[in-house]
Amino acid sequence: MSTTAETLEPADPLEPLPVLLGRPGDRELTDSLLRPVLSPKGRGWFLLVALGAGLAGLFVVAIGVTFFVGVGTWGNNIPVAWAFGITDFVWWIGIGHAGTLISAILLLFQQRWRTSINRFAEAMTLFAVMMAGLYPILHLGRPWMAWWLFPYPSTLSIWPNFKSALPWDVFAISTYFTVSFLFWYLGLLPDLATLRDRAASRARRVVYGILSFGWRGSARHWQHYRIGYLILAGLATPLVLSVHTIVSFDFAISQLPGWHTTIFPPYFVAGAIFSGFAMVLTLMIPARKLLGFEQVVTARHLDNMAKVTLATGLMVAYGYVMEHFFAWYSHNTYEAFAFWNRWTGPYRGWWYLQLFCNVVVPQLLWFPRLRRNPAVLFVAAILINVGMWLERFMIVVVSLTRDFLPSSWKMYGPTWVDWSLLIGSIGTFGMLFLLFLRFLPPIPVFEVKELRRELEGEAHGRHEVAGS
Amino acid sequence: MKSYVLGEFAAEQVLLDAVRGLRGRGHARLDLHTPVPVHGAEEALGLRRSTVPIVALVAGVTGALSGYLLQWWTVGVDFPINLGNRPPHSPPAFIPVTFELGVLFSAVGIFAALLFGYFAFPRVHHPVFEVEAFRSASVDGLWLSAQVEAAEADAVAAELRRMGARQVSIVPEEAAP
Repeated sequence: MSTTAETLEPADPLEPLPVLLGRPGDRELTDSLLRPVLSPKGRGWFLLVALGAGLAGLFVVAIGVTFFVGVGTWGNNIPVAWAFGITDFVWWIGIGHAGTLISAILLLFQQRWRTSINRFAEAMTLFAVMMAGLYPILHLGRPWMAWWLFPYPSTLSIWPNFKSALPWDVFAISTYFTVSFLFWYLGLLPDLATLRDRAASRARRVVYGILSFGWRGSARHWQHYRIGYLILAGLATPLVLSVHTIVSFDFAISQLPGWHTTIFPPYFVAGAIFSGFAMVLTLMIPARKLLGFEQVVTARHLDNMAKVTLATGLMVAYGYVMEHFFAWYSHNTYEAFAFWNRWTGPYRGWWYLQLFCNVVVPQLLWFPRLRRNPAVLFVAAILINVGMWLERFMIVVVSLTRDFLPSSWKMYGPTWVDWSLLIGSIGTFGMLFLLFLRFLPPIPVFEVKELRRELEGEAHGRHEVAGS
Repeated sequence: MKSYVLGEFAAEQVLLDAVRGLRGRGHARLDLHTPVPVHGAEEALGLRRSTVPIVALVAGVTGALSGYLLQWWTVGVDFPINLGNRPPHSPPAFIPVTFELGVLFSAVGIFAALLFGYFAFPRVHHPVFEVEAFRSASVDGLWLSAQVEAAEADAVAAELRRMGARQVSIVPEEAAP
């Protein structure tokens, strides 16, 4: 079989690994990519969804306790007024950056390997941003007053303070969610029409028919569609960089040692992409195996994603070094103490674990053999997820526990509500993702068909050159 | 009364030749229906450049301007609060929200203009959907549709067959609800 030969290392080391194994026909490709949606769902899937739903239940309980009893049920105190809630928020919003990076930036750079993973990563982005958006609201103290964040002509006659970074966050995150959703839905439109046309039951035809708005693959529509999609990608590219920059302003424009650093915006963006790619790998490695997508999500995809993870991991490590350099070079006693406290303070165990996960583990990805080994990559991705959560914990909480005056120092310990909000959000995210995998096409069908045409055209061209 | 004549073709080149042929005969209301965009379809159909970029620009500039004006008026004019002795109208602090609203308006503008303007969606009933075989248009089928006078429909259908259509159907417009 030619497919088995292609999975092996290419004969020419300069020849990249294939992005698509074999050259299946359009109908064959459609059916294999839509199989997860159109085939009956197995018991394993239901069990996983039930597990996610159980954790989502825990999430709802924890949110209910926060609403009805108050934020006093959290471990937050003074001086640690920002704790798990903000840590989780920054972690999730960071994870939510990979989707747009893959779908928009790699589209503009014409990276072909984005094609089969972009839908997947965009869905992950949406669910991660949904989780992230909840925490600042829960953190308000009076979350039922959340609409006060928006500028509307109220009887209080006061407006949000646009000179503070927190209202910038409101705009950045709501814009990011909206634009990611529109970008994702626009990409989904032709595939929803394909689902409408391939579904066997009338109910599905009706539902997917309504969702596809009556897409009929018209050339007059494709013309505007392609331009519109490209411009959306162009808009999403600076947007994705702006969102985590604005999140980092929440910290960087304050006075607190450990937060007050000019390197925060690029360092946060690199960290966001680092954790986002780790999350895409965490989800994709099992999903491609279980759903049988190895033909379209090949070793090449894993290899490239691992390279991006390594590169952004090195940027994060550079950020750590620079933070320490600034602390030393500024001759600011408080700043220097904040970093000394990380190495020797009461939370040093978490700091060493963070360094192991974010600095040591990514170095494995220098080796091609390890990059292409799904098991190694999966474990590394999980450790990076943990490490990035710890990084946010170190920045948010540990900086606050020991600020300027030793008399106001206080330790922080999470309560069961804090843990439930973290674990519950992971479960809810997982449940949403599992539902997505089986109700919407996880791999963009029409884009893979286009990719196949391009690859065929190229192979054809190469033969012509070789023959001439 | 109008009719839709639908023809399915086996190869992109044949499809494009057929559309050029019909256009040469003076038929203007032609369209292609394909699972992926076909290279050369725009010039074969004689389509003009898309105006979507203009929509994006106008919506984006509107968003950015309204974002800036919103901040300037609310915290600079209507209810100035002295925080850290920054001036009430402080442009550097207004950059993030201005940028975000520019992007937001532009993206929503593109999406809404595409779906509800250029595509005239939602339109889940369209005469082309009357043909059961047309389901392949989103899978692997290459279709051509021509909106012609009902009297001409048979002639156009014969023309499509002559130009290599594998199957041809005629849908009278009122058949579609």
